[in-house]
Amino acid sequence: MVEADLVVLNESGLHVRTCGKFVHVAGRFKSEIFVRHGDFEVNGKSILGLIGLAAESGSVLHLRVSGPDEQEAVNALKELIDSRFGGMD
Amino acid sequence: MKRLTGIAASSGIGIGPAWVIASEELAIREFPIAPERADDEVAFFDRALESARKDLRSIRSGIAAELGEDEAAIYEAHLMILDDPELRKAVEDGIRVRNRNAGIVFRDFMTSIAARLERVEDEYLRERRADLLDVERRVLRYLVGGGQRGLALPDQPSVLVAHDVGPSEVALLDRQRVLGLVTEVGGRTSHSAIVARGRGIPAVVGVKNVTQQLRNGDVIVVDGFRGEVVTSPDEDALGHSRSRRDRLDQATLELAALRDLPAVTRDGHKIELGVNIELPGEVEQVLECGADSVGLYRTEFFYLDRAELPSEEEQFRAYRTVVERIRPRPVIFRTMDLGGDKVASYLGATHETNPFLGYRGIRLALHHPEMFRAQIRAIYRASAYGKARIMFPMISTFEELESAMGLCREVANELARTGVPFDRELPVGMMIETPSAVWVADWMAREAQFLSIGTNDLIQYTLAIDRDNPELGDLYQPLHPSVLRSIRHTVEGARASGRWTGVCGEMAGDPRQAVLLVGLGIDELSVPCIDLPRVKAAIRSVTREQAGAIACAALALPSATAIENHLREHLDPLLPAAVLASGSAG
Repeated sequence: MVEADLVVLNESGLHVRTCGKFVHVAGRFKSEIFVRHGDFEVNGKSILGLIGLAAESGSVLHLRVSGPDEQEAVNALKELIDSRFGGMD
Repeated sequence: MKRLTGIAASSGIGIGPAWVIASEELAIREFPIAPERADDEVAFFDRALESARKDLRSIRSGIAAELGEDEAAIYEAHLMILDDPELRKAVEDGIRVRNRNAGIVFRDFMTSIAARLERVEDEYLRERRADLLDVERRVLRYLVGGGQRGLALPDQPSVLVAHDVGPSEVALLDRQRVLGLVTEVGGRTSHSAIVARGRGIPAVVGVKNVTQQLRNGDVIVVDGFRGEVVTSPDEDALGHSRSRRDRLDQATLELAALRDLPAVTRDGHKIELGVNIELPGEVEQVLECGADSVGLYRTEFFYLDRAELPSEEEQFRAYRTVVERIRPRPVIFRTMDLGGDKVASYLGATHETNPFLGYRGIRLALHHPEMFRAQIRAIYRASAYGKARIMFPMISTFEELESAMGLCREVANELARTGVPFDRELPVGMMIETPSAVWVADWMAREAQFLSIGTNDLIQYTLAIDRDNPELGDLYQPLHPSVLRSIRHTVEGARASGRWTGVCGEMAGDPRQAVLLVGLGIDELSVPCIDLPRVKAAIRSVTREQAGAIACAALALPSATAIENHLREHLDPLLPAAVLASGSAG
């Protein structure tokens, strides 16, 4: 299992479209992906779960990934968040 | 009788009985599902999801075609919600384990997600509840109702009044039975408004609480020119509205006949008559109304209401779509005109006591060279696919023009070096909006390849009148002699270097003032689509000599009042009734 803390950098946080991008990337991997923010931990492949995290800009997301491609998955998600969702917003 | 104001979204006047669409009732009953019926209930839910998916896909492709892929991205996310594995699992568990029906389990699940968003401070995130609700209703319509909301109209032609109407719903309305459309939410550029214009349905949007002030059958007047709604009008008001409608319908018919004719004076002097647009999706209207060009493409849309800068790629794609669609007609891109009343949050909110005299237009652009360069590169790249022109807003010094032109040259060299195609003849011009630019127009025209006068700001700066201050309305005078003399001075400055001068402010859209501008030597006018037919008709009713004589006499008069009287006496008799009868003012 690989764990990582990621900081949401984009100004508008995890909203519907940014969550969509997250799920899009997460869905490319076989590993199970869990994302925790505050008291909630959700399936990283569930857009509704992520939207429900209500993670504003500056929030820390704790990632827990396990499976055959866990390291690649963490790297890809880290890159997505660090790039502010590819400059989406 | 009550007059309510909203936003004029689609021109025309509709008078008739109101047909009020109540806020949608999607009441879900809770009932138990016996274990042997669980498979059927799960299948029922899957069918509802699939139907909702189909609706969303067709809306998505409609929006993508009309407004571009970026606008359609939200529907992509809505589709992902329907495909959410946790959602599917929660509903199936609820049916099989807790023996509850699909509708109630689904609604509870969606409500629990929305409830989590309630807790956050962030306004933007909380607003996302609307997206969840939208998806929820789309599915519930198949679980409790008859599928897509049907806006069934009564047999008698009616004015549709609703809280909100989706673009796909406007597209499906029976044109024979809908006299007009009134909604409580939405703006001129909302998708529904665009579709209403395309279908010629008079519409006023953003009329607060209108559904609560009407019952089915109450008579209502929708004035899509003024953005006004009159409920239960008295005899006088009704008679007035009817005759106004008939006059306008007649005028519209006469003017429509001119659509494919050029904007040329009676003695053959051609004026380039363009339109102002803001959204890539508005290009269809440009072609419909018979314009020669896009004389003002406002690009602020890309920078506002978003959290981060638009990329060069995103802008390039949008600009390319516009120039390709308008080709061979030209498109004038006005570079970012931010600041003043248009503030982009990511540029850092600076408090200014006097924003209109502050950090705006070219001043702001030159302070963000990377952002400005990305936009100029996007326009240059798009120029390979049609006919593009560039102009800069709010120039008040020659140095600003030099800096901006220098940036364009750099971009052109860069693109040439790297082999990216672009139009090497791309004309670069500037707007004349400040008195300082007026007085050095001759110098400006040596560098700039054309001048375009933005009359709204020029009037505001020349007369020192805040155009948004209702107390000062009477002092905002387009016909003030100082304004006309400024325009004349600009034209002379441009001509000294063989350049042309256009006008893209509201003055150009007023048919009488448009004739005056032609008389002052203006070569190009850019107007809102809605005003174009009347402006064209006005230009076609006079000779260049008549317009010149009227303008020449106006320049010698002391006041706006005197000039107004002069126009009434010497210009109005030359104009056809259709031009004088109609319009937003009449």
